[in-house]
Amino acid sequence: MKNKFTQHRIESIMESLGGMQPAVAPEFFYTRLKGKMQPADEKRTFLLLRPAFITGALSLFLMVNIFSLLSINKMPKQHFSLQNNKPATIESFAKAYNLNNPESVYE
Amino acid sequence: MTEHELLFGLRHGEESAFKELVTLFQDKVFNTALGLLQHHTEAEDIAQEVFIQVFRSIQNFKGDSLLSTWIYRITVTKSLDHLRSKKRKKRFGFLSMLIGENNLPVYEPEDFNHPGVLQENKEDAAILFKIIGQLPENQRTAFVLNKIEELSYREIAAILDITESAVDSLLQRAKQNLRKKINNSPP
Repeated sequence: MKNKFTQHRIESIMESLGGMQPAVAPEFFYTRLKGKMQPADEKRTFLLLRPAFITGALSLFLMVNIFSLLSINKMPKQHFSLQNNKPATIESFAKAYNLNNPESVYE
Repeated sequence: MTEHELLFGLRHGEESAFKELVTLFQDKVFNTALGLLQHHTEAEDIAQEVFIQVFRSIQNFKGDSLLSTWIYRITVTKSLDHLRSKKRKKRFGFLSMLIGENNLPVYEPEDFNHPGVLQENKEDAAILFKIIGQLPENQRTAFVLNKIEELSYREIAAILDITESAVDSLLQRAKQNLRKKINNSPP
């Protein structure tokens, strides 16, 4: 098998770290370190602001609203004279309040 | 602040002492971890864990070595532990792939470019770092501490708890192995 590198190139690779500068720690290293060391009980006070909690609360609120809207749409339509595209009449008003009943609670 | 004052402050939980410690050693710790791990994010994580370990264990530091020696030792230990853990996960991932539980391809990282390498040497240095990653742990550690962190044989011996002649032996074998592996690199 033909070698990829000549002896000169091998030595060049071996010496490639010459003149190298040491790496420097990333910016804000200490700040991030302190954040990582923050005690767990301090983090607990922000539970209400956590995205997971807020998303769950909003989802629940939305579901309740959807359920309420669906429940309203399922209510019987004969209670509303407008469902028949007819304006309310004296007869429908009397019927709704049972005013045609000859027996009155006042008698 | 002298080392004695620093130790006193650390043992009494003074934040100013801890901040001073981090300022003094963050570059050394990060550079060592980076040389061993060849990954910026992992090196930063390990560097943070080193200082957390120092903070928690400072009461156990007896002072029979220099503070720097102790910190380097923790850095090397944590870096090598992390490498072993990665290797285990990679092996498990490959086995899972074989038995059909995991069809994800094994991730092969890109060539590592150390930020401190001279521009004209970057290509050769990338090849060298790849080969360094194939060395046995003890040879890799000695080579990184000597060539990248530029520590003396004496300092390396104290960190690895071996003699200076053992350090010399490790470095000689590391260089021989590196040359051999470069020569045998596939075209």
